[in-house]
Amino acid sequence: MSFREKSAWISVVSMAAIYGFYFWSLLHAGRKAAGVGFGGLLETIIALVFVQVVLTVAVAIFSPRDAKAPRDERDKLIELRAMRFAYAGLATGIAFACFFGAFDPPILFGTNALLFILVTAEIMRSACQIVQYRRGA
Amino acid sequence: MGIIRNEIRRLRFEHGEMTQQQLAEKIHLTRQTVNAIEQGKYSPSLEAAFRISAVFRKPLESVFHYSEE
Repeated sequence: MSFREKSAWISVVSMAAIYGFYFWSLLHAGRKAAGVGFGGLLETIIALVFVQVVLTVAVAIFSPRDAKAPRDERDKLIELRAMRFAYAGLATGIAFACFFGAFDPPILFGTNALLFILVTAEIMRSACQIVQYRRGA
Repeated sequence: MGIIRNEIRRLRFEHGEMTQQQLAEKIHLTRQTVNAIEQGKYSPSLEAAFRISAVFRKPLESVFHYSEE
């Protein structure tokens, strides 16, 4: 497994776990979430950055040659395809957000809905990369 | 849709059992990409194909074959 595939796994697993916990907490907090929303988001972002940096450094230590290798043409092609796939998800999500925005939702709900769309698109991007690396290209 | 086959595995063997990593370093690709090319899962760019041919000192058509199937 290449370093870039491992990075994609780290991204998918860490984002799904950490943002999953954040959104699950919001859902369970319900209306009380309005008071704690952005503090929780800051903690979530810090946790995500910390976990991703630690895991990426650990992977780089165990496979330094792979980590130092620059992206080649196949890596770039896979990234482009993954980006196109994620963009379709992002655009669809934003279209839904615009539609539901017409119903004047609370600001915290709207912000978290946009964050959910962004996180979903990012997970789609990394997942698409993994699928392509598994297939070969 | 056409299929691009190649002789890279055989040519590596004929060139002192060159490893995928050694070939990858010569053509500025990763070992995983060389492996994907060898297995026919990834079609390299024209530039990469020429670089591979140059390593083995063979014309392009001796390394890569295109067939419509």
